Amino acid sequence: MSTVRVLGRLDQNLAWDGDRLYEDADIQVGSAPPYELRGAAAAVRRGPGSSWRILRDPLGLNKLFWARADDGAIDIAARPWTLLQAGHRFEEILAIPRGCVLDVIAGEPPAAPDSIVPAGWFSADGPTLDVDKAAREISSNLERYLAAVAAAHPTAPVFVCLSGGLDSSGIAALTRKHFPAAVAVSFDLDQPGGQASQDRVVARRLAHDLDLPLLEVTVTHDQLFGYLDTVLVEGIDWRDFNVHAALVNAALADGIDGALPARDPATPVLVLTGDLANELLVDYHQERYKGVTYYELPRLPAVTLRASLVRGLDSCHRETGVFAAWGLSVVQPYAVAVDAYLALDGHFLGREERKQQLCREIFGDLVPGYVYSRPKVRAQAGSPELGGGVLAACVDRGYDAAWLRHRFAQLHDVADTRTLDRFIRAGRYRTAVPSLSGEVN
Amino acid sequence: MITQPTIASRIETFVRTQFEVDPGDNGFDRTIDLFELGYVDSVGFAELLAFIAEEFGVEVPEADLLSEDFLSIDGMARIVSRLTATAEARSA
Repeated sequence: MSTVRVLGRLDQNLAWDGDRLYEDADIQVGSAPPYELRGAAAAVRRGPGSSWRILRDPLGLNKLFWARADDGAIDIAARPWTLLQAGHRFEEILAIPRGCVLDVIAGEPPAAPDSIVPAGWFSADGPTLDVDKAAREISSNLERYLAAVAAAHPTAPVFVCLSGGLDSSGIAALTRKHFPAAVAVSFDLDQPGGQASQDRVVARRLAHDLDLPLLEVTVTHDQLFGYLDTVLVEGIDWRDFNVHAALVNAALADGIDGALPARDPATPVLVLTGDLANELLVDYHQERYKGVTYYELPRLPAVTLRASLVRGLDSCHRETGVFAAWGLSVVQPYAVAVDAYLALDGHFLGREERKQQLCREIFGDLVPGYVYSRPKVRAQAGSPELGGGVLAACVDRGYDAAWLRHRFAQLHDVADTRTLDRFIRAGRYRTAVPSLSGEVN
Repeated sequence: MITQPTIASRIETFVRTQFEVDPGDNGFDRTIDLFELGYVDSVGFAELLAFIAEEFGVEVPEADLLSEDFLSIDGMARIVSRLTATAEARSA
């Protein structure tokens, strides 16, 4: 059968053209590729006769997987697990490449896809910006994008994740401006004695200073581990760093869901996050816990490492995928400023205080001074040597990297875990471009 | 034009040095699956890709990254040789 079938729901599109959000009607077979598209998008839209346009955003934030059915049809879904439920084997499942724009037309030879990934993003000859100019461009994009999201979804309940770090604080400040009814939400792991983490303490103070109500989500270790299977399936990843971050998001999503009154299925619930800034500014480091190193990074120069981290966004769904399991739509504002971030040069990326400097230029006094001067703490890491974070909780319970890998394989009916190394490699999913002629590009 | 054996030799030198392969390891050669046998992990893979881009001036397309050929040094050399030849033909 020469057809394309979409199984299950696709991730919410929140992509932007620099002026407004894309709508379904903007995605048409035969139209020019949307090279200006930024933000999350994945679409399969039917055109005249037996024709379809398939599209994924240039960072690969929203996911699309496919497999060929016995009847010749192309089955497409947002999660491999959905394709497994339809009878496909994990080994057959492929991703649509990020940034791919493809028209699939029955009876015609496979078309060469267009790529909307800008050629200069990862090139040594790409455009460069000094910090002032980059900050102005980032600030302008964030403001205009959030205004566009607010205009497109004026009645949506809005939440903003607040870790107490710089990235989420900046987004929270802008959220307060564009979504006056927004609620901040903060994660914490229940500790003996009920003591709040430093993240929670700062989140309380910041929510008060930004005049945002705060939803406090505090979970026990058992509650946290109860999300593991959901996280592995919806996050489409088994690697420990991403699973740990996804567990935090699952707890937040569950907390938000529980706090919502009756929901209108036609109105999305928006959750804004400060995600992506760490990849864009290479603001990651490895962690030590009980003498073992976790979250190891490739030994690469800053610009090369940034390219590797940003390309790697293709192969994890720790934000959008996990929140979607609770019917929540994630807005990742930093995604629309990616061009300006990638134009920051290696000299700037090598500075210890790069994030503080850039954020001061972007957010200025919108973010209180104590946030700028606060040492970085990750919710998933906590204070690793002392424990308290998700990393320590998982390791202590035996949910280490090997366990996560094995469990992911088990959930996806994969007998040989080496298969997983052919599914994600160098931060990218196994990809191919489908056609209805049976050939694969 | 750089030859395929030269490419293989440079990749082998990089892998041996970067991933601290024991000089006396008789199980290591240019035909083995580097990943399955644990010589290179996902973090090391990113380092290997960066080396190839820097050393040979080519970006390995995603289709090649996930091919069976890209598991061994000889396979990588075949892919890099093809990519450098294509790049040289374009610039000629």
